[in-house]
Amino acid sequence: MAEAEQRELTYVDAIIEGARTILLEQDNAFIAGEDVGGAGGVFGSYRGLLEEFGPERVVDTPISEEGIVGLGVGAAATGLRPVIDIMFMDFMGECMDEIANQMAKMRYMFGGSAKLPVTVVTMSGGGRNLAAQHSQSLEAWLCHLPGLKVVAPSTPYDAKGLLIAASRDDNPVFTVMNKMSLANRGAVPEESYEVPIGKANVVREGEDLTIITYSRMVSESLTAAEALAQDGVEAEVIDLRSLQPMDTDTVIESVAKTHRAVVVHEAVRFGGLGGEIASQIQELAFDELDAPVSRVGAPFSPVPFSAVLEQTYLPNADKIVAESRSLIGA
Amino acid sequence: MSTPSDDVLLDIHRRMVRIRTFETEAGRMAEAGKIPGALHLYVGEEAVAAGVMVHLSNEDWITSTHRGHGHLIAKGGEFDRMFAELFGRATGYCRGKGGSMHISNMDLGMLGANGIVGAGPPIAVGAAFSTKYRKTDRVAVTFFGDGASNEGSFHEAANMAALYKLPVIFVCENNGYGEYTPQAKHQAIVDVADRASGYGMPGVVVDGMDAMAVYEAADAAIERARAGDGPTLLECKTYRFFDHVGVRGMGLTYRTDEELAEWQKRDPIHLFEARLAELGVLSKDDAVAIHEEVLAEVRAGIEFAEASPTPDPDTLLDDVYA
Amino acid sequence: MSSRGAVGFVANPASGKDIRRITARASVFDNQEKTAMVRRCLIGLRAMSDAPIRYLADANRLVESALAELGFDGEAVDVETNGKALDTTNAAVAMRGAGAVVTLGGDGTNRAFAKGWLDAPLIPLSTGTNNAFPVMREATTAGAAAGLLVSRRIPLEAVAERAKVIHVDIEGEPPDLALIDAVLTQDRFVGARALDDPGKLVAAMLTRADPAGVGMTSVGGFAHPLAERDDATLTLTFDRASPRRVVAALAPGRFESIGLGQTRTATLGEPMRLTGPGVLAFDGERERVLAPGQAATFRTLRDGPWVVDVRKVLTRAVACGGR
Repeated sequence: MAEAEQRELTYVDAIIEGARTILLEQDNAFIAGEDVGGAGGVFGSYRGLLEEFGPERVVDTPISEEGIVGLGVGAAATGLRPVIDIMFMDFMGECMDEIANQMAKMRYMFGGSAKLPVTVVTMSGGGRNLAAQHSQSLEAWLCHLPGLKVVAPSTPYDAKGLLIAASRDDNPVFTVMNKMSLANRGAVPEESYEVPIGKANVVREGEDLTIITYSRMVSESLTAAEALAQDGVEAEVIDLRSLQPMDTDTVIESVAKTHRAVVVHEAVRFGGLGGEIASQIQELAFDELDAPVSRVGAPFSPVPFSAVLEQTYLPNADKIVAESRSLIGA
Repeated sequence: MSTPSDDVLLDIHRRMVRIRTFETEAGRMAEAGKIPGALHLYVGEEAVAAGVMVHLSNEDWITSTHRGHGHLIAKGGEFDRMFAELFGRATGYCRGKGGSMHISNMDLGMLGANGIVGAGPPIAVGAAFSTKYRKTDRVAVTFFGDGASNEGSFHEAANMAALYKLPVIFVCENNGYGEYTPQAKHQAIVDVADRASGYGMPGVVVDGMDAMAVYEAADAAIERARAGDGPTLLECKTYRFFDHVGVRGMGLTYRTDEELAEWQKRDPIHLFEARLAELGVLSKDDAVAIHEEVLAEVRAGIEFAEASPTPDPDTLLDDVYA
Repeated sequence: MSSRGAVGFVANPASGKDIRRITARASVFDNQEKTAMVRRCLIGLRAMSDAPIRYLADANRLVESALAELGFDGEAVDVETNGKALDTTNAAVAMRGAGAVVTLGGDGTNRAFAKGWLDAPLIPLSTGTNNAFPVMREATTAGAAAGLLVSRRIPLEAVAERAKVIHVDIEGEPPDLALIDAVLTQDRFVGARALDDPGKLVAAMLTRADPAGVGMTSVGGFAHPLAERDDATLTLTFDRASPRRVVAALAPGRFESIGLGQTRTATLGEPMRLTGPGVLAFDGERERVLAPGQAATFRTLRDGPWVVDVRKVLTRAVACGGR
């Protein structure tokens, strides 16, 4: 397929198209969440769907996250394929029991007799001056729960493809979208397609170090890689796409080639996925490493409001470049 | 409202006896150290499960509580696979992965006992959403206690069920205690049903020790749900004859022997058997025969469980994912 | 402690919560409103009188909470309570001698009270479902009337009417009574109590038959109206297949076509004898089971509670000068 001939869509339009595809393809699928219908989603990610599919399938809910997720769990266990929208990832605090104790565990607790094909769409990340309760990246909470799958699309292509893949999966899948990426444009095929869950994407090849990242930090990492290339350092950039399950094979293969690795995420560094990835690399490829695995993440602080503070807080290409340089010893 | 035939009356009676006998023996097994973990027994509350469940089919869904054996038995659960689950055996309903607090049977429409107080109502709302989405007349019944009625999940579910006019019946088993805390110390109201009107649904209080009172009220609520008129909150005033956990529990003195004795005078099975005898529907001898028959079935279930294999350690990671 | 000169309060927490909320969308009376009513009533009482207050300590603490909110003194009558109608009957016994008793509830609450104190001076405020006996009335001035009645020693005969009562003798068992209607049905269980199935009606006796009322009084009212003040009683028999039918409000929000057998106005004291099997319903609620062959006899007499007319009390008090 020639990329040049492909149509481009924004990340948010790719979400709409993914959601629309799900409703067209699966009679048992419906979307439920706060303001997903009449308002088309507060990020515009469901625009036009209520008009096309009606209120039975695009369901505006009260502001009741626990009730909404419970609705998804109960509907999925009894044969539907719900797509549940949790407007901001920060709101998971309101519904963590239904996520952690019900959705994630029901199948296992019931000895395999239940199936939970529920897709949760939620929006993560800072950068919009929304302060501490609307800007977090809490994917590590989810990845710690056996029974859940977690994906984090970085591009419009992945947003549509991972959303469709999530809806076809018979397990609960969280598609963690990023609110700073909504206007990003990229090639998106019109037809229905899946981006397979559990498969990482090597978005830039290089021999000198491996940057392992996901979501919005993929583009920051690519920018960093270009800067490093000016100095003659060629970084390989891996977009994990799927955080649970994680494509460790692709990571190890790359580290075996570059012998250096830096893990980058917007989430707080302490206790973030970077620690898990670094640990896996040293367990599986210790002999390949020429330097300790390093990590770029947010400092141990709530996300601040003021733009100056927020930009200081957020990881970015400059910080990735600096960390990479110190890793290389350049 | 439908008039129950003698067969229905005998069905209700048998469901209650099945619960009582299973739970009594399970309690005995637990105290003898044969059943691991925590058991929350349903003895005393049988009229609620039986009076509601006799109206349901396998296509109707229920969510249950940590005190869930009675709901599963009344929904048609078999003793052998239930005991096997309590014993942690591979032949149990959950293959030894759930135990007492998560015992379930999807084929019977039983969406699990639940270790989290108040977790059931939102799930029942989802199940009811399903039945409505498919345009069937099936309903979802969620059982919960007076304690759970203080959880936010209950309130969110009640609001959503009424908003969407979903076929949910909220059955509050008000046994007067949230674990060890008397109701007067955990909520400023006495009738949980008073909360119903705040969500736009009818709320009704019935005597939960009287199987026919529960039967009639559940009949009306389920009929309303099947007709598409929306949810009902049905509060059944009841009492657990055993402790919060196990039979004698931790020996706490949060309630008096006199109070227990007072409620035991209104034992739901004794009350119902007395009335069935007056009506000539079930003689005293026939009732005794039913108790013995059920006890034999319980003992066979225990034997089945004890003879069953423990789970293969290799199955540890099975069914984390589909 | 004696109840003489006191004002009694009985508020029934269970009224207004039965299955007619589902089957007929009958009115909802939550306990917060009942407590609020008691509070308003107490304020009215204290505005007019310092009479001591005696009350039934119900499980929902309806009266107790209102007293506590206001900082008023009151004394609970010393009776055992278990959340059943018997509590009200026992409280009535303990309240004998009080100058006035305010009841909050439905027909059932007042019936339970009358069983303990037949000729009590009652100010019945409605919070129930099919209410014929108590009336919907603002509690504030009802409380004021209770206070004036006691403090001014107003003779009851001047401001109250004696109610009719149906006395029910049940063979081999304690007797019972009803204030509005006593009915034999073909039900087999007391169950959820509300009289629900018109197809099961056998026979009834009514102290009043009011087409503007709800329940059995409506059935009688559409067949043959009879006022509370009439010194007579109405007896009915039912026949599902009868071509003689009335369409009546069997419950709030519910009209039913009911087949009638015989309708007859009888004199006070005239017995109506019925035999089981069946269930006896009093004032709209199934109460007692009748075994096969067991006899029950209904008999209406005018020997019931003195029902106080709040307006008459207040008007008379005004005429004699304010507080």
